[in-house]
Amino acid sequence: MESIFIAASPASPEIDFRFDQHTLSIKGESYPENAAAFYGPLIERVRAYLAAHRGAAITVNVSLAYFNSSSTKMLFTFFEALNDAAIHGSQVRLNWYHDEDDDTILEFGQELRDDFGALEFHDHAVSST
Amino acid sequence: MLYQEFNDFFDVARKRHIIFFYVGYFSQHVVAAISETIKARLDTAGAAGPTRRRIFSSFVEMSQNIMHYSSDTLTPPQSDQGQMRRGSFCIGMKDDSFFLLCANPVERASEDRIRSRLEPLHSMTMEEIKSAYKKALRDETPADSKGAGLGFLTMARDASEPLEFEFVHEAHDPDTTVFCIKAII
Repeated sequence: MESIFIAASPASPEIDFRFDQHTLSIKGESYPENAAAFYGPLIERVRAYLAAHRGAAITVNVSLAYFNSSSTKMLFTFFEALNDAAIHGSQVRLNWYHDEDDDTILEFGQELRDDFGALEFHDHAVSST
Repeated sequence: MLYQEFNDFFDVARKRHIIFFYVGYFSQHVVAAISETIKARLDTAGAAGPTRRRIFSSFVEMSQNIMHYSSDTLTPPQSDQGQMRRGSFCIGMKDDSFFLLCANPVERASEDRIRSRLEPLHSMTMEEIKSAYKKALRDETPADSKGAGLGFLTMARDASEPLEFEFVHEAHDPDTTVFCIKAII
């Protein structure tokens, strides 16, 4: 399956999905005009990848400095798809990077941990200085 | 003389401790460009990290609301890509807090729906707002939303006081009403 790379823009994150290496990374800031249009096709590709690679050991790196409300909803759907795959035998490690004093992103990470128990959640608080 | 014309105008903003204002059409490019400016401006205004993030978050939700829902639009009303819609936005300081204020026209027919979203938030505690946010995150997106139906809850969560809002009817325009919302951070 072909990898996906989308360079970051001022309002959308870098997407680096290396399906052959089972590594999916999202990095930057996310407040596109239409989050469903940005994330919808990516989530579809990820679902197809997950379905084709049951049992894979997958690493997901998320390092977002900011995401708006509509991106939050799409990210939740993305993690839901990963959690489903983990329930069905894949091993998914989620590396959740956030600024050490960013309560909002820390709390969203806790939401993910609570809701998506099949993911191996690793919190990484990063110093802003 | 030319500079004086500007100064008369700027003095009003300065007296009200406005650190940023914009009136005009909001597109995604405008939102991203203002974002860059606001981040730099908040750094120099000495806002603490978490405060800066809350202001920035509220700015994005407000300006994208204008871009998605203002009834004064240069692009087709049904469009949800490449939109350009008109509104006003400012950030200021009062006492030790920052405030964000925005206004844009909406169809008068939408007034009740917007009111029904915002009114319940007014009497909620921060804990209740957070749990409403968690619920909305897991619910289906409302049919009339171009985002996630989370925008007002996000603003309420970032604010330190209940969101204030009002609708102003202008006699010359019976079909629209001006929607104003204020967040104190």
